[in-house]
Amino acid sequence: MEENATPQAKTSKPLMNPYVAGIFLGSTLLAAYLILGTGLGASGAIARLGAHLELQLAPARTLASDYFGRWGDQPLKHYLVFMMGGVFLGGLVSALLGKRCAVKIERGAKCPTQKRLLFALSGGILAGFAARLANGCTSGQALSGSALLLTGSLLFLICMFGGGYLTAWFVRGQWND
Amino acid sequence: MIETFFKAGTLNTPAAFLASLLIGIAFGVALEKAGFGSSRRLAGIFYFRDMTVLKVMFTAVVFAMLGICYARAFGLVTLDNVYFLHTVYGAQIVGGLIFGAGFVMSGWCPGTGAVGLASGKIDALVFLLGAVGGSMLYNELHPILAPIFTGDRGVVFAYETFGVSEARFAFSFTVIAVLCFWGSEYVEKKRQGRGHLWGTPFLAVFSALLIVAASGLFAVEGYEKKPAPRRAMPEKESIPLQAVQAAPYHMGPQDLADHLLAGDPSLTLVDMRTPEEFEQFHIRGARNIPMEDLPEALLPHKNRGLIVLYSNGMTLPAQVRDTLFRLGFQNVSLLSLTSFRNACLKPVSLRSEPVPPETAAKINAWRAFFLTPVLPDV
Repeated sequence: MEENATPQAKTSKPLMNPYVAGIFLGSTLLAAYLILGTGLGASGAIARLGAHLELQLAPARTLASDYFGRWGDQPLKHYLVFMMGGVFLGGLVSALLGKRCAVKIERGAKCPTQKRLLFALSGGILAGFAARLANGCTSGQALSGSALLLTGSLLFLICMFGGGYLTAWFVRGQWND
Repeated sequence: MIETFFKAGTLNTPAAFLASLLIGIAFGVALEKAGFGSSRRLAGIFYFRDMTVLKVMFTAVVFAMLGICYARAFGLVTLDNVYFLHTVYGAQIVGGLIFGAGFVMSGWCPGTGAVGLASGKIDALVFLLGAVGGSMLYNELHPILAPIFTGDRGVVFAYETFGVSEARFAFSFTVIAVLCFWGSEYVEKKRQGRGHLWGTPFLAVFSALLIVAASGLFAVEGYEKKPAPRRAMPEKESIPLQAVQAAPYHMGPQDLADHLLAGDPSLTLVDMRTPEEFEQFHIRGARNIPMEDLPEALLPHKNRGLIVLYSNGMTLPAQVRDTLFRLGFQNVSLLSLTSFRNACLKPVSLRSEPVPPETAAKINAWRAFFLTPVLPDV
């Protein structure tokens, strides 16, 4: 069992039943729609951090750029950035209380550290890029958009799993124990 | 009825930031408690090793979907309270495929990556840095990509795409989700011997509750379409084509003014004049939409509530209304700005006809409402 694979497993508290966790997540999404009027989102904050960093390096160029430019000179002043801050805080509190917090690189025992980190970096670049192209990620499109039964969001959900299953075989080595 | 931050246009205020932070905290706790602070578990779904991602995501989607359907049916929330993502087929297909590849390579996605970082995972930090870089890369390539991925279809609902009723689609979706849950438990049992929820009373009751809740949608179907006292304009929503061509219907200026004054959310008012004219003066609550964007921009309001097109005269709105009618819009009404000004905004003192006191009071209320300068949107 997976839990035994890490030394943390003996001390960490059990996870939530996945369906109960789903109801919890779904309630949060519903609250977002009824209070904010928008769904949940995560990639927007990451992109806005990118815009913020570029503004520090080359303000004029960033403001003139096609995509980041439309966010103005204060891209971090946005509700999605606060939401993402909340995700980190909530995750931190929950991980600490559940004794699941440990500094480590998660990988298969037989996978070299560099290989795992290279996959994490490349995957991050692809995911960050694709989330801008599709205007949302797992949170904004696959979760929030699908709950509204939007055609494009459901299509994103299907293609996301399709792309994942097509690639899975090629990157399976990082989880070899 | 609820007014969301989105509807009020106040998503960019400290109150909305605080609400977002709190919702984000709940989001983070939910992800962490589901076990999504682990890339190995997240990637597990792609190897049929650990199906937690599917169980949690599908439960959340179905639960929120049912919640929104019921909230709408009971009038707690209206469609214009919610921001709908547009459908852009190419961008969402290609974006989805690339995103999925990135997801399985890294074992993270943006939201879970933040939770992974909070759990101390170095690979999550590296993923997030990569995602920041990927966003910057997109910004550089946007001038090349934007012309390729055009074709914004506006707001498209899957039940429209499939040509079925919303209740029927939502019900089918729920049934598929339940089947996926049982399939996931079976796969885990076969692969790992740990499908400990397979065949349990818990899963059976949970499945039954979802199906019952989804069946209930058939009962409340059309509930919200029952004419409410103020927004009822049913006779205008089913104009036969002959009637449209023979005698273009138009909503009386006074009626419209009263509806706008009352803040009727079912009204969509479109100014067809030039942006310069719109800038100078427009009826409060109106949107100025370029002609070519109209069908897409109005899609969320198609046959929902009433769309009112206005210009200086009636000719242009009438032509556009006929075009929209051919696209399936049956709830478009017309208005002439000139008659609106004369009927509602002309001061009582300048009128030649005698004005009864109650009408005078109404005119003053309209003038106060429509002639007060409204701050431009930020």
